[in-house]
Amino acid sequence: MGNIIIYMYSSPDWFFGYSIFMELFFMLIILAVSYYSLKVYKLTGQRQAKLFSLAFLFIAAAYLVQSLFSLSIIYSLNQVVSDALRIIGVNTFNMTIFFLRSTFFLSGLVTLTYMTFKESSKKAYSLILILVFFSMILSWNRAYTFYLFSSIFLIYIASYYLVNYLKKKRLNTLLVLIAFIFLLFGSIHFIFSVNHALFYVIGHFLELIAYILILINLILVIKK
Amino acid sequence: MKRDRLQVIHDILKVIQDRRKIKPTHIMYKANLSHQMLAEYLNELMSKQLINEIRGKKGKTYSLTEKGFDFLNKYKMIVEFTDSFGLD
Repeated sequence: MGNIIIYMYSSPDWFFGYSIFMELFFMLIILAVSYYSLKVYKLTGQRQAKLFSLAFLFIAAAYLVQSLFSLSIIYSLNQVVSDALRIIGVNTFNMTIFFLRSTFFLSGLVTLTYMTFKESSKKAYSLILILVFFSMILSWNRAYTFYLFSSIFLIYIASYYLVNYLKKKRLNTLLVLIAFIFLLFGSIHFIFSVNHALFYVIGHFLELIAYILILINLILVIKK
Repeated sequence: MKRDRLQVIHDILKVIQDRRKIKPTHIMYKANLSHQMLAEYLNELMSKQLINEIRGKKGKTYSLTEKGFDFLNKYKMIVEFTDSFGLD
């Protein structure tokens, strides 16, 4: 089992269990944000809120895929997983899970970046999605490509929130800005995690700080 | 200071809430909007089911729907959410 973990995640074995709980925690926060964004969309009909909700739903799905797969290895479903591994092979199985997860995650980031453009162009949106996924499929190293694309999109998203903060210098806009900067740093650390497992751990802790900040902001917003 | 879209929608709904049923001209003066702007906003609010249009003998009046009341109750949350996540 250790080999599978190392192959898929480049994660130290001791961190494997913690990473699952962290990802489930991230997923719950992201789902809560998506739910409130959908609520705002239903009341206001704002396109931005709809895209934001969809983006966070994609990202939540990415964490769900990853954490459920990891849980299935550790707990009761590992017979199913090992049967699947026997049938389709470890590499194909790993690649399928990784591809599913990265498809959801990048779809979320593309949607979020598209939301920040404030332009309505389905052609541009679909073009970015197609380019990203074909680049992923044709890439020699999909893990690098995935983390690189994630970092590029997060640079755009973080810069959008920097402008948003400069326009409205308030605590909640600052919290969201810092959260996306931490997500960007986390994503950059994941690029290096392909070869150095410790960066995978650091990346998770940076993500943890980011999602806690998003959660604090959400709690402050709901209290209003 | 220029009001944003959400603020204008809030002002219109608040005027309607205060009077329960109100004529469009009253909304126009109370919410400080031009005739054309008001017509556009009222159409938008009806399409979003935030207000109802009632046609009577004395002309059209408007009232809030349940969703309209819900909007006013959650207005602060909506503004904080859209501001902090840059959705405006």
